[in-house]
Amino acid sequence: MSKVSILIPIYNVESYLRECLDSVVNQKLKEIEIICINDGSTDSSLDIINEYAEKDSRFVVISGPNGGYGKAMNKGLDAATSEYIGIVEPDDYVPDNMFSDLYEIAIKNDLDFVKADFFRFTTTNGILEKKLEPLDKTGTHYNNVFDPSHTPEALYFTINTWCGIYRRDFIEKNHIRHHETPGASFQDNGFYFQTFIYGQRAMIVDTPYYMNRRDNPNSSVSNPNKIYTMNIEMDWVMDILKKDPEIWERFKYMYWWRKYQNYNFRFKVIDKSFKLDFLNRLCQEYKWAQMRGELDLNLFEPGQRNDLKKKIAQTDSAYSKTYFMVSWKIKQHIPQPVKDFIKKILWGNKNGKKKL
Amino acid sequence: MERKNFEISVIVPVYNSEKYLKQCLDSIVGQTFKDIEIICVNDGSTDSSSQILSEYASKDDRFVIINQENGGAGKARNTGLDASRGKYLSFLDSDDFFENTMLEKAYKKIEQDNSDFVVYNSDQYITDKDDYINLICCIRPTAIPPYSPFSYRQLTENVFKAFVGWAWDKLYRKSFVQEHKLYFQEQRTTNDMLFVFSALIVAKKISVVDEILAHQRRDADGSLSKTREKSWFCFFDALMALKDRIEKEGLTWELERDFVNYAVHFSLWNYNTLAKQTRPLLKEKLAGEWQEALGIKGKPEEYFYNKQEYHDFLDAVK
Repeated sequence: MSKVSILIPIYNVESYLRECLDSVVNQKLKEIEIICINDGSTDSSLDIINEYAEKDSRFVVISGPNGGYGKAMNKGLDAATSEYIGIVEPDDYVPDNMFSDLYEIAIKNDLDFVKADFFRFTTTNGILEKKLEPLDKTGTHYNNVFDPSHTPEALYFTINTWCGIYRRDFIEKNHIRHHETPGASFQDNGFYFQTFIYGQRAMIVDTPYYMNRRDNPNSSVSNPNKIYTMNIEMDWVMDILKKDPEIWERFKYMYWWRKYQNYNFRFKVIDKSFKLDFLNRLCQEYKWAQMRGELDLNLFEPGQRNDLKKKIAQTDSAYSKTYFMVSWKIKQHIPQPVKDFIKKILWGNKNGKKKL
Repeated sequence: MERKNFEISVIVPVYNSEKYLKQCLDSIVGQTFKDIEIICVNDGSTDSSSQILSEYASKDDRFVIINQENGGAGKARNTGLDASRGKYLSFLDSDDFFENTMLEKAYKKIEQDNSDFVVYNSDQYITDKDDYINLICCIRPTAIPPYSPFSYRQLTENVFKAFVGWAWDKLYRKSFVQEHKLYFQEQRTTNDMLFVFSALIVAKKISVVDEILAHQRRDADGSLSKTREKSWFCFFDALMALKDRIEKEGLTWELERDFVNYAVHFSLWNYNTLAKQTRPLLKEKLAGEWQEALGIKGKPEEYFYNKQEYHDFLDAVK
C-alpha cells in the first residue's frame, strides 16, 4: 500500500497544470499514488495528464463528462487506496517536502488528519509574491494533538481542505464525501465540516507548505442559479450536523459563525442586482437563529457582532426600512423597479415621489 | 382502452355543493395542463351534486366518479388517493375555483426541481361581495428562502406557520406520498392538517410558486368550518396525531418548540372562531388535560416566539 493518495480534480486548467503535476511528481515521498480526475475538460488538460501518466506508473487517470467538483472529488476518494489522502488543486503547487513531512507527523501521532499553514501567491510579470496564511490566527493550537469532534472552536481555523492529509480509514469509516452539486460551488465546506465533527486525533502545524494561487480575481457571479450555492452547501452541512442532535448542539454556534463569514465573502462577488435579496436572506436567517437560541454573538469579532446585532434587532414592521439603511452603500446599484418597491413599503403610495 | 397513467390526478371530494360545483369543475376542465384525470368522490350528497357530476363525466372522459356513503372529506380524499393513477396528486375542494394555469405552473416547477411537493399562492373569494382578499399567511414571505428546492430546515419562521395546513394549494408527488404513507385523517374537520404537515417535515425537497393560482371561497353556505361546533375536538386529535408523527420521525428534539408554538396558535384560532355556546367545552379542555398533552403547560414565557399570542391563549383559557 502506498503512503499517500494525492487527488487532483481537473477542469480546464491547461496553463497551470504542468507546474502542479511536476510539483507532485517530484515529491520526496515516493510511495504515492497520483489520482487525476478529469471532469470533462474541453481544453488540452486531459492530454497533459495522459502524457504524465505514460511516464509515471504512480498515476491513476479517471476521466468523465463534467459533473462538478464534488462528484469528481468523490470519484477520487472512491479510487484511492493509500494510507492517507491529500488534495492538490490543479492551479496550485506544493513544495517537495510537503507530503513526506506531513506523513511522518501523521504516523508518529496516529492522526486522523494533519493540516499545515500555507501561502497564497500571485505572479505578476514573472515576479512571485507570496503571503503566509496561518491556520490559527491566535497561534495557540499548533503542534499538539487535539480532538476536533469536541473542539468546536477549531472551526475558527482558516477553511480549506487541501493544506493537509487525511487518514483514508477515517474518511471511509465516517462516510465522508463531497456534496455532488454542479460546478465548483463551495463543496469543500461540507468536506471540511465532516472532517472536524468526526475527527478525534488531529494536529495543525505552523510550517507552511502549500502554494495557493490567487491570480484570478473573483469574477462577479451573475447567474441566478449560482447566487445561492453557498447557502445550498451550508444547508447540506446543517443536514449532516443534525443527523446527530448532540453534534448539532455542540457545533451550532460555530455553524452560524462560519456561515456569516461565507455570507460576507459571497456578498462581495455576487452581481449587484442580487445583493439586496442576498442580504435580506441573511437577516431572515440570523433573526431566526437568534430566536431559536442557536446564535452566540460573543464568538464574533466586535465589528461583525455589531453588524449582526443591527440586522437582528429590526422588528418586522421596521424591517424593510432599517434593512435599507444597512444596504445604503449599494443603493446606487439598485435597479429602479426594486427602488419603487422599497419606496412603496417605506412611504406607501401617496409619498411615492420621495427621492430615493 | 382504459388508461393506466396520467401526469396529474386531481381529487375532489364532493358533498352537497351544487351551488358552486360547476364553477369548480369548469376551472378544472379548463386547465391549460390537459394530461389529468379528475377523480370526483361523491361523499353521499343529497342534493343535485351527483347529477352535475354525471353530466360533466358524460362530456369529458377524463372524469372518474366514485360514489360512497357519507364519511367526510378526509375519507373521500383517501378513496381518491387509492384510486389515483397520476404521477402527481392535486387535492381540490368543490367550492373553490382555480386559475387555469394552476396545474401547468405547479407541474413545471415540481418537474424542474424534482421536488416532493410544490406550494403555490392563493387568495380568498368573498362570495357575497364578489371580492378577493389576500392573506399573507398562505406562504409567509419572510419564512421561505429565495431559492428552491429546500426543506423545512430552511424555513425562517415557525415551520408550521410558513404554509397553511390545507391540501388544495399544493401539488404532491405520488411516490413521495406513498413512500411516507401519508393519509388524511378520517374525521369531520381538520382532516388535512396531519397530511400536509407530515409531508412538510419528511420532504427533502419543497418548491414554491409565488403566484396566486387558487381562490378559496369564504362564507360558503354549508361550509363545514361554519358548523364546527359538532366537531370542535377534531383539531386536538389532529394536533396529537402530528405530535406522534414528529416523534416517530425522530424529530421531536428539533421540532417540539415549533409544534408547541403552533399548538398555541391553532388552539387559539379554534377557540376564537368557535360558536360562543361551544366555547366553554373547549375552554375546559384547554385549561386542563389538553394543555398538558400538547406540551404547552409548564413552558417558560421565553419558549414562545409570539408572546402576545401566548398571553391571548392564557387569557382565553383562564
